[in-house]
Amino acid sequence: MAELLKVEKLCKNQILNQVSFTMETGEMVAVMGPSGSGKSTLLYNVAGMDQPSDGKVWLNGQEITGLSEDEKADLRLHRMGFVFQQMNMMGNLNILDNILLPVVHSNKGKKENKKSKAELINEAKKLMQKLSISDLGDRSITQVSGGQLQRACICRSMMNQPEILFADEPTGALNKSAAAEVMEEFVKLNQEGTTILLVTHDSKVASRCNRILYLLDGSICGELTLHRMESGTEKLREEKVNKWLMEMGW
Amino acid sequence: MIRKLIWNDIRQNKLLSVVTVVFMAISAMLLALTVVLFTNLLGAIDNLMEQAQTPDFLQMHTGEIDEEKVLQFAEQHTEIEEWQISRFLNLENGTLSLGGRSLADSTQDNGLCVQGEKFDFLLDMENEMPYVSQGKVYVPACYRALYDLSVGDIMQIGSCKLNIAGFVRDSQMNSMMSSSKRFLVSKEDYEKIREQGEEEYLIEFLLDEGADAGVLGTAYATEGLPANGPTITGPLIRMMNALSDGMMILVIFLVSIVVLLISMLCIRFILALEMERDKREVGMLKALGIGKKDIRRLYFSKYILLSVCGALTGLVAAYLLKGPLVKQMQELYGRSQGGWQTESISVMAVVLVEGIILLSIRNILKKAEKLSALEALFPMEKEEKRKGWGQYLFIAFVVAACVFLMLVPQNLYSTLSSPEFVTYMGIGDGEIRIDVRQMQDVNQTTEQITAKLENDGRIEKYTVLQTKTYLAFLKDGTKYNLTVETGNHTIFPVSYVAGKAPEQETELALSTLNAEELGLQVGDGLQLLIDNKKINYTVCGIYSDITNGGKTAKAGLPADTGDSKIVRDDTPVMWSILYVSLKPSVSREQWMEEYNSTGVKVVDIADYVAETYGQTLQEIKLASGVATGTAVVIIFVVVTLFMRLIVERNRYSVSLQKALGFTNESIKRAYMVKGLLSAGAGGFVGLLLGGILGEELCGIILHSLGAEGFQFVVAWEKVLLLIPAISLLTAAAAIWIGILEIKKVKAFECCMRKE
Repeated sequence: MAELLKVEKLCKNQILNQVSFTMETGEMVAVMGPSGSGKSTLLYNVAGMDQPSDGKVWLNGQEITGLSEDEKADLRLHRMGFVFQQMNMMGNLNILDNILLPVVHSNKGKKENKKSKAELINEAKKLMQKLSISDLGDRSITQVSGGQLQRACICRSMMNQPEILFADEPTGALNKSAAAEVMEEFVKLNQEGTTILLVTHDSKVASRCNRILYLLDGSICGELTLHRMESGTEKLREEKVNKWLMEMGW
Repeated sequence: MIRKLIWNDIRQNKLLSVVTVVFMAISAMLLALTVVLFTNLLGAIDNLMEQAQTPDFLQMHTGEIDEEKVLQFAEQHTEIEEWQISRFLNLENGTLSLGGRSLADSTQDNGLCVQGEKFDFLLDMENEMPYVSQGKVYVPACYRALYDLSVGDIMQIGSCKLNIAGFVRDSQMNSMMSSSKRFLVSKEDYEKIREQGEEEYLIEFLLDEGADAGVLGTAYATEGLPANGPTITGPLIRMMNALSDGMMILVIFLVSIVVLLISMLCIRFILALEMERDKREVGMLKALGIGKKDIRRLYFSKYILLSVCGALTGLVAAYLLKGPLVKQMQELYGRSQGGWQTESISVMAVVLVEGIILLSIRNILKKAEKLSALEALFPMEKEEKRKGWGQYLFIAFVVAACVFLMLVPQNLYSTLSSPEFVTYMGIGDGEIRIDVRQMQDVNQTTEQITAKLENDGRIEKYTVLQTKTYLAFLKDGTKYNLTVETGNHTIFPVSYVAGKAPEQETELALSTLNAEELGLQVGDGLQLLIDNKKINYTVCGIYSDITNGGKTAKAGLPADTGDSKIVRDDTPVMWSILYVSLKPSVSREQWMEEYNSTGVKVVDIADYVAETYGQTLQEIKLASGVATGTAVVIIFVVVTLFMRLIVERNRYSVSLQKALGFTNESIKRAYMVKGLLSAGAGGFVGLLLGGILGEELCGIILHSLGAEGFQFVVAWEKVLLLIPAISLLTAAAAIWIGILEIKKVKAFECCMRKE
């Protein structure tokens, strides 16, 4: 598989200390570590939402650390997807419009392959159906549960068919069953070919990934590679991850 | 999508959106109104002066007149397009009545004239030249409302009765600030009544475009042509016309500027609140890759929409209010020819106001752009700490601006209505003024009255000022004809812009117009030709004057020429003015009646002020009332709104206080005290600003209208009691309503806070 993401000696003030790793297309990688270890900072610096003090990041061979703010914004809009713990959405729009927001925006600037509004709505509805929220489009963001809202956020992040999906504690604000449902969606997306880098402190969530990076005091101090996720192996994988985490001092 | 976002945002924040539109509309309306009124006034005056063919230069004269000499002068000066000598029959006010009401109390010089032969036409209400048949009279338009007249009423001059056939606009003497009023009659009636009054001549010149009336005036004076009355030029006539209504426009302009500032502050505050509330959403949009320009456009589009609503509402409101306000102007000056130009200027004014507001919004949005996606998504602790006294600063700002808004028009009103104000216009600080003019022997009459005054025990003090014309020589040899008022100028002084009144015989004070034209300042020297001798004088003071054409001088030469130690002065007296102050117990009316019977004009200066500035004062009073009302509404709306917002911002701490056992009343009291303290501080700053900055501002504008060295005459009881009381009571009511929300905050809310 081809290398999609390359992070080299990434530093951010005192928080990140020469972090290096790579990700291949189709991988699903979890970043774990204790509170204050720099997990979210790593994610935001890799995704171009923050500027590292040193080091470089390449996405599909293109160095992104040197890009301007506007170029990075363009990159996030067209080539990356994001899911946040707080399920941030526009309060003034309903679920469907929130999902459509980035794609409508990116479509607006296109000269070629511009899609009609009906086409975009159709795509959004297909995605919503896949994530089992097809009947929530007209609802306001306050009229759905946390799990449903996070699934809507996943839909939104996937609308522009990103090369990579970043997720910061995507199940952190959800209850157990909602978290399991959401994680299921991530696994499905990954199995369909989406590359995912997620930050979590939940070993159950991490155990669904192909690889886990353990971050301590801003440096990667351990890495665990798992086989591809197969049905029925969840328990076994979780035990393996928990054992490894114990070894890492979790 | 943007449309949906904006629409939903407006729907969900109805109150803030409405307040924003209201502020935008009021600002737009006031500036549009200022521009419309100003262009209407100037346009109407210009139109009237053009239709009436107002003279560019005119010299008043009483007594013998050598027409041949004037003709020679006109032939020598190619810049003179036309010239004529018009007659003005000055009538004794006591012999006049209009619609049954006597003009005995009028301070104006009322008289008759016939229609100008070549120019200086008196126009009817359609700005057409009326034909006056025998037995008919056309009355000055400004008297229609003053004496409640209508066509068909009778004007009585002694025993002669004339039928009022209509009303005329007199481009020269329209304004109540002009001291004479011309009634238009037929030639036959004029000749019939001629014996009943004193005839005065107006030697009038119409000049080629671009010709300097001042230069012609100097040439006229040096030629020794008939000139024993005031000299008046076109610009002065225009200024006199513009001054009365201009004051009201000035007040509206001041109000519009302050309201624009308040609007900008309020809208900035509302936007800042919105940005704070939407911080996470903005952070999320940035994280999703939506560019900062697009996010800015999102907010900006909403404000453009609100701004369009505000601009349209403001324009409609300005259009509706324009009618009643221009009514008086149209009565005096007719309609402006502006038409679509006036309308387009008002649209431009509205666009300017909205542009300024939108620019300030854009600046805030640009500042907010500096916030990164991460900072917006995860607000730092330090930002939470901003909720201190800082949030009350805004209330202080608004109250300060509103107090300024109430104070400046009020001070302007009390200044213009005070007897001292006339001293800025070139009139002495006296109680009664006696004018000895328009008679064959001014000197003899003055002596008679002076002798009577000298032996009158009811008088506290008096002074005799006699006006003569001297040839002045500047240091560079330039000659200039100077109208000099001689006598003691320290008894009833005028206000001096620089220097002081002449005290020595060799001291001379100049009006600002003369000082500017001659290029002289206090301390400079010049010579006057008296009795064929050049006498050295030093400029000791400069004062503003709109009387007698504004080009005057005051010298310390004794009025009684025989007393002069340096020269015998036999220069003929053009006119005399005597200022008198009576002892407190003396009945002013009785005294004036007694002196009126001597055939001279005796005027109570308070009546003179009331008549001359009455219309202006009424308009300023109205504008001042509107300004106070606007200020009260602004304080009430803004303080209520922002106290509610402050409570909303501090909901967590209010809830926490309740959870800890604080009562509603104790929490409210704390907010009330903070709100009132900030309103009080704002009020204090507003009073200071209004007193200092307001005076400067009014001074600058009045300077352009001819009054120099302006200082507010303050009505302290209103400034120190009424205005602070109105502001604080309104603020207190607004704070009380604004903090009612505290009651609705529940004690458990703090425990459920998500952040």
